[in-house]
Amino acid sequence: MDKAPPEKSSSFAHKDREAWEESNPSAAPPDSPAAVEAKVEGDGTPSVNNVDKIEEEKEEKEEGKEAEESVEANPPEDATPKGDDDAPHSFDKILEDIDNFLSYLAVETETNTSLEVHELSIHRFLDLVQEKVSNYIADVEEGKSRWGQHPDDDSSILQAVARVSKLNASLDGSKWGESSGLLINRVGRIHQQAMALLEDEFRALLEDCKPVNVDNNGDENKDTKQEGDDHVEDGDKSLDYPQDAVSHLNKIAKEMISGGYETECCQVFILMRRNTIDELLSKIGFDGISMDDVQKMHWESLQREITKWVETLKQSVGVYFPSELKLIESVFTGCPDTSAYLFCNLTRSIMIQMLNFAESIAISKRSPEKLFKFLDMYEALRDMDPIINGLFGEDKGHEFVKSELVTARSRLGEATVSIFCDLENSIRSDTAKNVVPGGAIHPLTRYIMNYLELTCEYKDTLEQVFRDHLKIERADSNNRAEFQGDNSAQYQDPNEAEKSQFSLQIAKVMDLLDSYLEKKAKLYKDISLSSIFMMNNGRYILQKVKGSPQINELMGDQWRRKKSSDLRQCHKNYQRETWNKVLGCLRDDHGLTVNGKVMKPELKERFKNFNAMFDEIHKTQSSWVVCDEQLQSELRVSISAVVIPAYRSFLGRFAQTLTPGRQSEKYIKYQSDDLETLIDELFDGNPAMTGKRK
Amino acid sequence: MPATEYQGSFLGRISIRRNQVVSMDGNHEQELEDLEIFQKNISDRFSDLLSDDSSSSSSSSEPFLSIAWVRKLLDVYLCCEAEFKAVLIMGRDPSLISKPPLDRVLPELLDRSVKALDICNAVMHGVDSVRQCQKLAEIAVAALEQRPLGEGQARRAKKALAGLMTALGIDDKDSGSHKSTERAWSFGRRGGCGGGSAAKDRGLGQFRAPSWGVPKNWSAAKQIQSMSSNLVAPRGADSTGLAMPVYIMSIVTVFVMWALMAAIPCQERSGLASHFQVPRQLGWAQAMMSLHEKIGEEWKKKEKKGSGSFVGLLEEMQRMEKVGHSLMDFADGFQYPGEAERLEEAAAQAAELAETCRRMEEGLVPLQQQIREVFHRIVRSRTEVLDVLDQAGKPSAPSV
Repeated sequence: MDKAPPEKSSSFAHKDREAWEESNPSAAPPDSPAAVEAKVEGDGTPSVNNVDKIEEEKEEKEEGKEAEESVEANPPEDATPKGDDDAPHSFDKILEDIDNFLSYLAVETETNTSLEVHELSIHRFLDLVQEKVSNYIADVEEGKSRWGQHPDDDSSILQAVARVSKLNASLDGSKWGESSGLLINRVGRIHQQAMALLEDEFRALLEDCKPVNVDNNGDENKDTKQEGDDHVEDGDKSLDYPQDAVSHLNKIAKEMISGGYETECCQVFILMRRNTIDELLSKIGFDGISMDDVQKMHWESLQREITKWVETLKQSVGVYFPSELKLIESVFTGCPDTSAYLFCNLTRSIMIQMLNFAESIAISKRSPEKLFKFLDMYEALRDMDPIINGLFGEDKGHEFVKSELVTARSRLGEATVSIFCDLENSIRSDTAKNVVPGGAIHPLTRYIMNYLELTCEYKDTLEQVFRDHLKIERADSNNRAEFQGDNSAQYQDPNEAEKSQFSLQIAKVMDLLDSYLEKKAKLYKDISLSSIFMMNNGRYILQKVKGSPQINELMGDQWRRKKSSDLRQCHKNYQRETWNKVLGCLRDDHGLTVNGKVMKPELKERFKNFNAMFDEIHKTQSSWVVCDEQLQSELRVSISAVVIPAYRSFLGRFAQTLTPGRQSEKYIKYQSDDLETLIDELFDGNPAMTGKRK
Repeated sequence: MPATEYQGSFLGRISIRRNQVVSMDGNHEQELEDLEIFQKNISDRFSDLLSDDSSSSSSSSEPFLSIAWVRKLLDVYLCCEAEFKAVLIMGRDPSLISKPPLDRVLPELLDRSVKALDICNAVMHGVDSVRQCQKLAEIAVAALEQRPLGEGQARRAKKALAGLMTALGIDDKDSGSHKSTERAWSFGRRGGCGGGSAAKDRGLGQFRAPSWGVPKNWSAAKQIQSMSSNLVAPRGADSTGLAMPVYIMSIVTVFVMWALMAAIPCQERSGLASHFQVPRQLGWAQAMMSLHEKIGEEWKKKEKKGSGSFVGLLEEMQRMEKVGHSLMDFADGFQYPGEAERLEEAAAQAAELAETCRRMEEGLVPLQQQIREVFHRIVRSRTEVLDVLDQAGKPSAPSV
C-alpha cells in the first residue's frame, strides 16, 4: 500500500505512515473526499508522484479518521456516509495540538529544527480540514447546505481555516528544507482549497445580500418627494442589510484577509456589490443616456430624465452610498484602507456617470425655460456636497470625485449664467417694428416679469451661482484675457463684486426691458397712445415687483419711487396730449367774447370742434386697452375731473346764447352726464373700434 | 468689421509661435503661415508617435499602443486642440466665424465633439476593466512568486489567470459561449448561484462592467462612423481658409478617438478597422495615416485570430494575454515540486507579468485622469466656440 517514493519521502514521514498503517489497515473508501480531491487534482496525467500522493492522502485520511473516531464519544450530529464524525472534543483536541505547534513555531526561531515530530499531528489536522472542506463542497453542490445554515459547521470550518492560514504562513519552505516539502505543499494546497471555498461562500452570501428595507424605502422616498423640499438629511433612511449575513461576511472576509487572499476577497466584493447597487439604482429608472443623445432629445423627455436624475442622485449619494460604506466597514472591520479602496471603487464610476449627465445637460442647447431644471440639478449637486465630504475622506481617489463634482456644478452654474445672457440678448435683439394694438401690455413684459418672478424662487441658489461664477471668472481672467482678448470682460467689473450679483443681474434685465419698452413706445405715432403703452407696461411691472417679495427686496424702495413717478409723468403727458386741445375749445378767451359780447359764430365753431374732438377721442381711445382696473379708473376719473367741470361751466355760461330748440340741439350734443358715460367707455379695448387705431 | 471680403483672411491673426494678438488687419500671408505651422506641428507630433515604435528596439519606454504611448497620444491631442483654438478663435472678430463655410463646418465639429465625449466616457470605463485585469494578474503574480512554489499557489494562480483570460475575452473551456468580447464583459450578471461545479470555478474574470458610461445599445463603432461620415476636405478657396484647421482638427479628433477605442476595451467595436480613413495625399496627415494603417492591421490580425473577441490592442493587455496563457498552462499542469526548467521559465514569465502590472499600476490612474482632462477640454472648447458663434449671431455685435 505504501508506494511513497523512497528518495522523496523522508524517513520520519515514512515511519509515521507505517505506524499509522499498522494501527489502521482498512482501505480508503473509493468515494472518500480525499480521493475525489486527488483525482480532480491529478488532471488526467497521473505521474508516479501523483499516484503516490493520492495513495498517501487516502492513507492519511483514513488514519486521521481513525484517530478521531477513537477519541469520539458523542454521536455525530452530521451523519454523512463519509463518516467524518468530528466530535467537538476530538476537533478541539486537534486544534489544540496545532495551536501548540503554532505557538512553538512562533517562539522557535532556529531554522534547523525539524518538522518531524509534529508531522503526525499536522497531517491529522490537514485530514480533518480537507474532509470538512470536501464535505462542505459536496453539500453545497448537492444543494444541501450553504453558509449560515449550520452555524456550528461554519464556525468549525473557520477555526480550522484560521489554523491552516497560520500554518501556511509559518511554514516558510526555505526554513525547513527538502524533507518537509511535501507536507508544506499539502498545507498550501489545502489552504488554497479552503480559501476557494470561502471565496465561493463569500460570493454566494453577497449575491443574496439585499437590503431588507429597500422597497419601503423607495416608496417612502417617493412620498416625501411630492411634498417637495426634502433635503437629504434623513439619516434614518439608510438601508439595512441582514445582520447575520453581514456578520458571516465579516468573518469570512477576516479569514480571507489573514490568509493572504485579500485581493480575491475585494474583487469578489466589488463584483457582487456593483451588481447589487446597479440593480438598486435601475429601480429608480435613471438609465445612462449618451451625451450625444441628450443633445438630440426633446426638452419634455429630457425634463423627465432630469427629474429621475435628481432622484437617483439623492438616493444614491444620500442613501445607498452611506449604507454601502456602513456595509463595507462592518464587513471589513479593522481595515480602513481596504474599506476606503472598496468604497471609492464602488462609488466612483456611478458618480462619474451621474456627473456626465449633468455635463451633458450643461452643454445642451440653452434656452430660458431650461433655467429651472438646471437649477434643480445645481441644487441637487450642491446639497450632495456635505454628504460627499462626509462620506469621502481624504483619500486620493476621492479627490477625483470631489473635484469632478465641483466641475459639474460650476458647469451648470455657467450654463445658468449664460441663460441670463441669452435672456438679455433676446431683449436686445428684438428689433421688430410692430406695436401692440391699443397700447396694451407687451408680451415680452409679461414674459420677462413672470420669468423673473419664477427666477426669484431660486433666489438663494442664483445668488450662489452668480457669486461662484464671478469667483471663477476672476480666477480665470488672467488666462482668459491672454487667450481671448477682452471678450469676457462683461463679468469683471470689480466695483460690482461686493453687491449681490444676482440682484445686479435682475436690475440689468429690468433696465433692458425699460429701454426696450421706451423704444417700442416711440413706434406709436400717437403720443397719447405711447403714454398709455408706457403706463400699462410700467404699471404691470410695478405690480409684479410689489407682488413678489423677493424681487421687491432686490429692486428696493428707490427703484419703486422712481417707477411710480415715471408713471405719474406718463399720466400727465397723456392728459396734456389728449385733453389740452379739447379743453382749449371750452376756454373763454378773446375769440369767443369780444368786449363782453359772445361771438356766436365762434361759439358754434367751438361746440362743433369740441363735439368732433370728443367723438374722435372716444372712438379712438375706447379701442385702447388698459387692463389694470385701477389704472383704468384712475385715468377715467382724472379725465372726468378736468373735462366735465370745464364743460359744465362752459355750458352754463354759453348754452343760453344759442337759440333753444333746433340750434341748441344741433350744437349742444352732450350733457355733462353724457360725457361721463362716454369717458367711462374709454380704454375698454372695444373690439368694434379696433382698426381705427392711429 | 471685416477688413476684407477675402475668405482667407479668416485665418489666424494670432501666430501660434508668437502667441500674441496681432492687429485687426493681419495679412493673409501671416495667416497662411499660421496654417502651415499648425499643420507642421500636427505632422511632427504624430511622426513622433510613430517613431517611438521604430526605436522600440532601443527599449523605448513607450512601446507602440502601450499605456505610456496612449498617454502621449492624448498629450498630442491636447496640444493640437489648444493650437486649433488659437488659430480659430483667438483675437478674432466673432462675426467672421458665422460666415460660410464655417457656419456649416463649425456646428459639425461641435457635433463631433459631443460624440467624442461619449467615447471618452466609454473608454474611462474601459480603463476600469483594464484595472480589473491588473488585479487578477497581480493575484497570479503574488502566487507564482512564492518559493518554493506549492500546488496551492499554482492553483491560486490558475484560478486568477482563468479569470483574467475570461476578462480578456479569451474563450476557455468553461466559457466557450462568449462570441464576442463585449458579451464576455457583460457576462455573469447573476453569477448562477446554487452550486454546480461550473459555479465553483466561476472566476473573478467574469465580472460585469455594470455600465460603460454609455447606454447599452451604444456602439463605439457606429459612433466613429457617424463622426467621420460627413468629413469632407475643404476645396478651392476654402482650403486655405479657416475651414481647413476645422477639418484638420476633426480628423485629429476622430483619429485619436478611434485609436483610443482600438487600444482600450470599449463597447461594441466590431469592424472598427474599416470605419474611418485618414485622408491621403495631405502632408500633415502622412504620419497619422501610417499610424492608422498600423493600428488597423493589428486590429484586423487580432480580429481574424480571435474572431472579434478580444479586449483591445493595449500593449500591456496583449502581453498579459500572451504571458497569462502560457502561465496558465504551466499552473494547470504543475505538480510539486516541478521541473526546474519549467519553474525557471515560469518565474521569468511571472516577472514579466509583474512588470506589466507595475506599468498598469503606474499608468492607469494618470491615463484615466488624462482621458478626463480631454473630456473637460472638449467641453470647455465647445462652450468657447459656441460663445463665439453666439456673439457672431447677435445683430449688433460690438466690434472687438
